[in-house]
Amino acid sequence: MPTNANNEDNISLLAENITKRFPGTVALDNVTFDLEYGEVHGLLGQNGAGKSTLLKILYGYYRPDSGRIVIQGREVRLHNTADARKHGIILVNQEITLMPHLTVYENIALLGFLWGKAFSDFDKNKIRSQIKDLMGKYGIELNPDLKIRELNAASKMLVQILAALSMNAKIILFDEPTSPMSLRETEQILDVIRALKKNGISITFVTHKIQEAIEICDRITVLRNGKAIGTVNSSNVTEKELAEMMLGIELKGFYSVKEGWVNKAIEMENVSKVPLIELHDVHTIPIKPTDVPLRGVNLKIYDGEVVAVFGLIGAGKSELGRLLVGLGKISKGMVLYYGKPIKIKSPTHALEKYKIAYLSEDRKTDGIIPHYSVASNISASALSLISKIKFLLDLRKEHDLAVTMIRSFNIKTSSPYVKITSLSGGNQQKVLVARGLASKVKLLIIDEPTVGVDIGAKIEIRKTIYKLSKEDNVSVLVLTSDLDEALGMADRLYFMHEGKIIREYAIKPDNVEDVRRKVIEDLAQASTYNAQLT
Amino acid sequence: MSSSDGKTETVAVEKRRAQRSALRKFLDFYNQQEIARPLIPFIIILVVSIALSPQYFLSPSNLKVVLFQSAPIILLAIGEGIIIIMGSIDLTPGSVAGLSALVTGLVTLSTGNIALAITIAILAGLATGVINGLLVSKFKVYSFIATLAGLEIWRAVDLTITGGSPIYGLTQYSFLMIDFHTFIPLVFMIALAITLIFWYLLTRTTWGRIIYGIGSNEEAVRLAGAHADLAKFLAFTIAGLLYGLAGVMLVATGGYVVDPWTAYGYELYAIAAAVLGGIALTGGTGHPIGPFFGALILTILTDILIIMGITQYTIQEIIIGIILIAAAPALTRGLRWVK
Repeated sequence: MPTNANNEDNISLLAENITKRFPGTVALDNVTFDLEYGEVHGLLGQNGAGKSTLLKILYGYYRPDSGRIVIQGREVRLHNTADARKHGIILVNQEITLMPHLTVYENIALLGFLWGKAFSDFDKNKIRSQIKDLMGKYGIELNPDLKIRELNAASKMLVQILAALSMNAKIILFDEPTSPMSLRETEQILDVIRALKKNGISITFVTHKIQEAIEICDRITVLRNGKAIGTVNSSNVTEKELAEMMLGIELKGFYSVKEGWVNKAIEMENVSKVPLIELHDVHTIPIKPTDVPLRGVNLKIYDGEVVAVFGLIGAGKSELGRLLVGLGKISKGMVLYYGKPIKIKSPTHALEKYKIAYLSEDRKTDGIIPHYSVASNISASALSLISKIKFLLDLRKEHDLAVTMIRSFNIKTSSPYVKITSLSGGNQQKVLVARGLASKVKLLIIDEPTVGVDIGAKIEIRKTIYKLSKEDNVSVLVLTSDLDEALGMADRLYFMHEGKIIREYAIKPDNVEDVRRKVIEDLAQASTYNAQLT
Repeated sequence: MSSSDGKTETVAVEKRRAQRSALRKFLDFYNQQEIARPLIPFIIILVVSIALSPQYFLSPSNLKVVLFQSAPIILLAIGEGIIIIMGSIDLTPGSVAGLSALVTGLVTLSTGNIALAITIAILAGLATGVINGLLVSKFKVYSFIATLAGLEIWRAVDLTITGGSPIYGLTQYSFLMIDFHTFIPLVFMIALAITLIFWYLLTRTTWGRIIYGIGSNEEAVRLAGAHADLAKFLAFTIAGLLYGLAGVMLVATGGYVVDPWTAYGYELYAIAAAVLGGIALTGGTGHPIGPFFGALILTILTDILIIMGITQYTIQEIIIGIILIAAAPALTRGLRWVK
């Protein structure tokens, strides 16, 4: 399978048969990855495919459960990131720790030249001239006296690259370097990567953007659900082939999700009805700098319907979901609730007035409430349903609710009253989805309902969401970067790309493969379209 | 022979394992039962105190001293405990309790109406709580900064309204010390009743549930659609009310004298009592009854030090500080058998 396995001497870094498990999921399953000298090797995959996990293993941040790592012909054990840096491996990503209030050259000095040295003289002029030399060598233009917080995303990345170069990095690992960048910034970074390559530095480039991978990489390894699907030379592969490898072409048991239920899209074809929620040409202003602005979203959700919005990272799905619970700023367009324009102020307002709830994709930061029991986590959005006279909790009702949900979702817990943190990741995820459905809302928005859980739990979660949605007539908006999930769960599917809804598909039992092909085409086209803009 | 050796060895190993697992079971239980956290140190300090000086410590008059001195600290600790459970901090208990005590004294002097004085004093406490609550929940000021300002301002107000001089002879408030011929004074009964009320409020109401949630993961609670800001505002307001009531008690327990420095530094007692009561400063955890025992532990500690002849204030403070450092990690994080 690896195309160049014949010549061991060429290999700068080899990770062989790497397996890594996290509670509730296998993040990497027997993955082999090799990097030649002076090569750009791309890692392509969807959200949760295992790209970042592999990168973190190469950087010594995680230790693999099994498998070995060989650097320049010598097997090594990377106990921590300092080990990796000693071997000349450096990770460059978006969240890395630059010091925002120090200047460019101070950051390079601290993270590069002086790294690992507790006391050493800080010769301003010498370091300054060394940085100038590096900049000249790699064609980087940057004012070294600017403060980090004054820089844009690309320049911040350049600072990290310079720091890596100042430590004589031989291998640089890039984790989604371009995802928050504009097209021009992206081009700037890609140019620098080409210069690095010309100087013999090996590069691993993690991305979910197909066109970008083809443009910059020599070889591309595609990961899906923690497995290496294949390694291809980028010169003889098309976007469509890569999209297929990335998204998967076999479906297996996913359609059983909808077994026994009438498709709402079909049922309602002849009924003219007012949608529960309609977005009419909605544009937004980003709240955080990393947010993707919506640039004209038209979308309808009818009562009792399961609608999926499919798109890769950076499509603006989370921003869309958050907007519907009042966490977004609309600059143009409007949100209609049964035909009436509304303004949603906050998640509380959305829940109480319009019966809309949103479950975040980030289980840790704004999903689970770690000190709560399983039962309390389930009832967190349903406090008004489990209380008498407004504010007194009815623990009996809470118990019944928790027990019902634990049974429906088959949550593996010894009791409803153990802390949620004692559960595995997959079961924690089930608890969160249960929270959404327990709140008896009209519209439940679930952001990546099954990311980071194993395949069994995935199917269970999808089935239960679909079943409860139909039983209780709850509309569900699934925001997902997993095409199987979108096709398997949804009555209707929207394809979203860079803040825009590109197309809408009704999914019927007989046209699933058809829709899949079209969505893959859409994705390949959207990627090409972007590349042409540059 | 070797097999029999092996057998005895296995038996020994198993026995050791059984013993160890009994200890582990106890520690597991201890870790799970938040109520056990303050109870165990409380029992230890009680036993040690009795052992050190049974005749003095157990005398009804000493017990009464311990109980009435603990009463205002209990109220301050409950208020502070609610705030700490939210993951915030409140530095105003001392200054506000002082303010309330002074207001009690001043109103009593000018009107002679005890009921009016107590009402106004408690309302003063409530008002400071409303201000803290608005600053933190509405204007998003960090609780540390907002209440640090309160700490300074209310103490300055204390000094201003009295002109710096004490108010003597407030013996009208001796009714708070009535003990119904037991050693339990009325102030302690009130403190106990309030403890039980807050146990109920924190575990059986949506407000209490949200308070714990905010301390655990505020973002998640907000996203789940709970009234987080309202709960925060109420928490600070209620805490202010409790500090106000504590101030009224201080008039009686402080010997019917109030001065501008009444309850000076009590915010630290309140925080210490909450932490000794097993409420982690990181928020989200801790049993509602913790502050009650925490306050008792602090009071007993001071009491036994005095009985032992250590009357110097500074040395008492040092000893309390050391015990707090030793106890806090185990209390707030729970003991870990293995790291």
